[in-house]
Amino acid sequence: MNLSEVITPAIIDLAVDAEDKASVFAHLATLLEQDGRLNDREAYLQNVQEREALATTGIGFGIAIPHGKTDAVNTVSVAIAKLAKPIDWQAMDDAPVDTVFQLAVPSASQGDAHLKLLAALSRKLIHADFRAQIKAATTPEQVIELIGSTINQTLEV
Amino acid sequence: MKVVAVTACPSGVAHTYMAAESLKVAADESETCSSCFVETQGQIGIEDELTAQQIQAADVVILTNDIGIKNETRFKGKPVLRVKAGDLIKKSPVILSKLASKLGA
Repeated sequence: MNLSEVITPAIIDLAVDAEDKASVFAHLATLLEQDGRLNDREAYLQNVQEREALATTGIGFGIAIPHGKTDAVNTVSVAIAKLAKPIDWQAMDDAPVDTVFQLAVPSASQGDAHLKLLAALSRKLIHADFRAQIKAATTPEQVIELIGSTINQTLEV
Repeated sequence: MKVVAVTACPSGVAHTYMAAESLKVAADESETCSSCFVETQGQIGIEDELTAQQIQAADVVILTNDIGIKNETRFKGKPVLRVKAGDLIKKSPVILSKLASKLGA
């Protein structure tokens, strides 16, 4: 599988100036839509917000992984934002969030390589060294390369 | 202490795997935990499915309770701890050390 099917520089913004969760969701939804990954931006956004209302996606360590799983999504995607100033996410460790991985998943997709990539990325985020590398990256290409080099090992097997 | 666990979450794309990985990392670093096998029940389906031998040998079973776990009857007769996937992500080391002292293992 080609990583660019899931993550491209066009859906990564490393300098997002946002006041709250809702504006981060909206900004990343716009990037996803402009990259042709959504067929209904409003429906996707609503799905992300409903999921967030169930339980915070702030997993701790300054990272959040909001996600929408709906037919408004064309293809499995990971949009990434780094926030200029950390914002409150009611995270599990109460720490403000500065890095957001916003997932978009079509409701029909099952058992495919894209979902395995999300699973592998989720596992990697638990590891402090990987988080530190992601947070230190300064260009979208660096972020993609980091994710690619660590995750392809997992997927090849 | 030998642990088996099953993780799952409503969307099955992220927390399932984060919880599984957190528990494994905590078990690797724990001095009381001699083995830890974690099955994931995500949107991909069931992965790393627990074997009958692994379940048989386990001192304790950890199940996430965010949504139902498939094939729960195989754990009949075993001590079961039910926790939120988020709690495994947040505090697996604490959960394991509490279990160890409770089981005296």
